[in-house]
Amino acid sequence: MTTTTTEIPKKFHDAVLKWRETYLPDYDYLIENWDRYFPRDDKFRLCAYREQGMPCAIECGEDAGKPKFTKACEMKPEAAQHLVAAIRAQASTEFGSIQQHQLTLARAQDEEEQAMVLRMMAEELRHGYQMLHLLTEDDWRPITGQTREQTVEEILSMKTGSHVLGAFNIDFESFVDNIVFCGLIDRVGKYQLAMQKVSAYAPMADSMPQMLREEAFHLAAGVVPLRRWVVKAAHGAATITMEVIQKHLNKWVPRAYEMFGDERGGGTNVKWGLKPMKNAEAQDQYAKEVAKVVRDLNMRYLRARLPELTLTEAEAGLSALERDRGGFRGVRFAELLRLPHREYARRRGVPAFTMVGLDGEKFENLEAFLAHLVRTLPDGYRATRDFQDYVTNLTAVARGEKSAAEAQKFMPQLRRVGGVCPCSKAVRWVADAGVELPAAV
Amino acid sequence: MTALSGTPTVRTLTELDLDGIVRIAEKTRGRYEPDLWEDRVTYYLRRAQEGSVVAELDGEVVGFMLGDIRSGEFGIEERSGWIEVLGVDPDLAGRGVGRALADEMLKRYGARGVRTVRTMVDRSMPEIEAFFTKLGFEADSLRPYSKRID
Repeated sequence: MTTTTTEIPKKFHDAVLKWRETYLPDYDYLIENWDRYFPRDDKFRLCAYREQGMPCAIECGEDAGKPKFTKACEMKPEAAQHLVAAIRAQASTEFGSIQQHQLTLARAQDEEEQAMVLRMMAEELRHGYQMLHLLTEDDWRPITGQTREQTVEEILSMKTGSHVLGAFNIDFESFVDNIVFCGLIDRVGKYQLAMQKVSAYAPMADSMPQMLREEAFHLAAGVVPLRRWVVKAAHGAATITMEVIQKHLNKWVPRAYEMFGDERGGGTNVKWGLKPMKNAEAQDQYAKEVAKVVRDLNMRYLRARLPELTLTEAEAGLSALERDRGGFRGVRFAELLRLPHREYARRRGVPAFTMVGLDGEKFENLEAFLAHLVRTLPDGYRATRDFQDYVTNLTAVARGEKSAAEAQKFMPQLRRVGGVCPCSKAVRWVADAGVELPAAV
Repeated sequence: MTALSGTPTVRTLTELDLDGIVRIAEKTRGRYEPDLWEDRVTYYLRRAQEGSVVAELDGEVVGFMLGDIRSGEFGIEERSGWIEVLGVDPDLAGRGVGRALADEMLKRYGARGVRTVRTMVDRSMPEIEAFFTKLGFEADSLRPYSKRID
């Protein structure tokens, strides 16, 4: 298969370049040093890619077998509405993730890891650009009521706090966030891209293969440092410990599950041929995949702690630790990483605002559950507005002042006005009144 | 470990297959080398996401084949598919894992317009030479040369 490349109209292309100057100030450094960090990879290029030779027929849903749509006006209005909402959300996540990563990029302890994240940010920019290509190449005005200019401006003006999906409104506190985010949240992105590859709307489907190729690197940008860190932790490093990594898994995994949308939903997308599976099924597959990532990290840790182990001994030892939760040759189960329970600290979907602990234990008492959250979440995150809003809503639900459904629907939108740097004196926090979030697609 | 049964399925390589590949490599080479294989797997994933495959049995990775499509090197202008790294779990030798991997790779290369697939075989590994010969590969005019620089 081959790809063709194109640029979006100049005024929009220039708008993206302007956005990049503010939110990706190290871009020029990346390009200048590309050959040093990535000598075997093609140089980055800001453009839209379209894969050639993709299937021409719709692959799932009620129109399976019919020719794919090449224009929005060919689609049923409801399907087109779902699709444009998904494209906008995708665009928002791409630009939003750059804003998040930028906050803590400079705190990386390793230059190579920092370069990997910087490259990932440039490719997320390209992904956002790809979505703008879809939004500006076709005429969506009959569906959105917006001109192309209005749509582009709306997306490029979003800041942390106002993005469509919750995970992209949470600030990073340290470089651990950058890495865990790459390893976990980008993994959800991979699922979405893989599902969108069968989209009944051909331009969307054609956009996915290149994005998937790039996403493979993003996942590596997360998992490769994590593997290094667990090995260092096994050797007693005082910098990033297993406990620190675990707390960041606890922070991000619930958000990752929520990115799949409500567990009961997704049927409409399947019906319209926009995605091949419903939300719950996709979330299940993701959970299995992340469990594998965590197991792999634990195996690395175990073999670094006990380098004399043979392959057979290591596999038996890890299985025993997982099964008995005890000890194996001086390594305790408590040292290992574990995946938070699916219902832990959730604020969207079926388990929203229930009091379920890290291992699935149910709490009856709000204070006890809050104490559990204090023990299991990173200190820096607990000092954020996002966590405060969660606790406020959780308390209201626990006291019967609000239903979980109400708490889910209305979460204050937090906007930072002023500079990107959190230390900037120009930064002010503005909390808008409750805004109804869009229904999960 | 329970014995694996059935016919292997072959699918595209992902970064999640790394631990399976490390395990196979450790069984065949006798060394635990996660960083080495991570570097290799990441390289192939970046170059061509669908260009490398793994064989799976009962959810376990039991074989892998890493490759790429290239042209313009060693005077070869024709776009050629390359099979560069091959590994099969020795506990499943003779169960058709290698064949299944090769069949899928050749099919994928053909679908991408490739007409020639190349590889290199060390003469000290007759079993590998026999494997590729059975697949229809023949010795090529292109010969590997090397020089030690001390």
